[in-house]
Amino acid sequence: MSDIRFGLFPDDDDVVRGLRAIYAAPAGDAYWNELQSRVMARVADVELGWWTELDRWARPALAAAAVLLLSAGVAMFRARQSEAEIAADAMLSSPAVPVSSAIRPAYQDDQGARLRFLFGR
Amino acid sequence: MRVDTGHVSMTAATTIELPFGMSPGADAKPDERALVVAAQRGSNDAFAQLVRLHQRRAYAVCRAIVLTHEDAEDAVQEGFLHAFKALDRFLPDQPFGAWLYRIMANASLDLVRRRKVRDADELPEGVPMPFRDPGESDELRRRLNEALTKLTDRQRSVIVLHDVEGFTHGEIGEMLGIPEGTARSDLHHARASLRRILGDVRSDL
Repeated sequence: MSDIRFGLFPDDDDVVRGLRAIYAAPAGDAYWNELQSRVMARVADVELGWWTELDRWARPALAAAAVLLLSAGVAMFRARQSEAEIAADAMLSSPAVPVSSAIRPAYQDDQGARLRFLFGR
Repeated sequence: MRVDTGHVSMTAATTIELPFGMSPGADAKPDERALVVAAQRGSNDAFAQLVRLHQRRAYAVCRAIVLTHEDAEDAVQEGFLHAFKALDRFLPDQPFGAWLYRIMANASLDLVRRRKVRDADELPEGVPMPFRDPGESDELRRRLNEALTKLTDRQRSVIVLHDVEGFTHGEIGEMLGIPEGTARSDLHHARASLRRILGDVRSDL
């Protein structure tokens, strides 16, 4: 009953002083130097892991894959486009054909007609 | 948790030391930003400087959330490790301290959750978890320690972060993942509970 540090309802200053005493961080640079060393040792351990190397290459690899896919897509699109252009050019630049031969089925050429006539169909 | 430190080298000449409890001020910010950028480019020395710059404040954040000094040390190490792994996702224009202390708070909350699961497995139901502090000696600290065990984890963290470490309600809310108003209300209830509990202790004497 001798130690009456608080009143019946201690004020906030008492509480804060007490809390600061309880939660005081360790004093002395030696402690903090050692804690820093321990943190950095764990960091160094992480850096030695193979997954870190993998992680380091994951983003460049993903970017490279994306660029590759994009290039392939563009190349395919251009190839198709140029094929269509060539076909259109070929069609437009081909010499004019008489309508009768253009619409005649392929098997009805002159030689075939002659043979069919000779052998009586 | 002890780790062999034999293979780690640090540049003592470039060390930036701040007094305890002091957050990096405006003057330190350009240096800090440069350190962050250097660390993001793979400089371990730069990261070591960031550790040195923030470890005391980081410890204070963790200590406010966990129950013991040893757990706070573990949480600090875990927090820095998480920060190191996530460094490339940090935007250097943001305040590094706020980002780091959020990570520290998360590491501490994880630790508290793990401890609770472990203690629930080990202790019979209904046994109160003692607050151990071997260094504690005086009556004030003993009573306050007892009173602190009566608070919820969050109330205890909020009152320590605010009244001891000087964080604002907003900063505490961000760290603990709660709205600012909740942090404010937790602080009010924590203070009221401590006053009531300490008053009860006094009247019992």
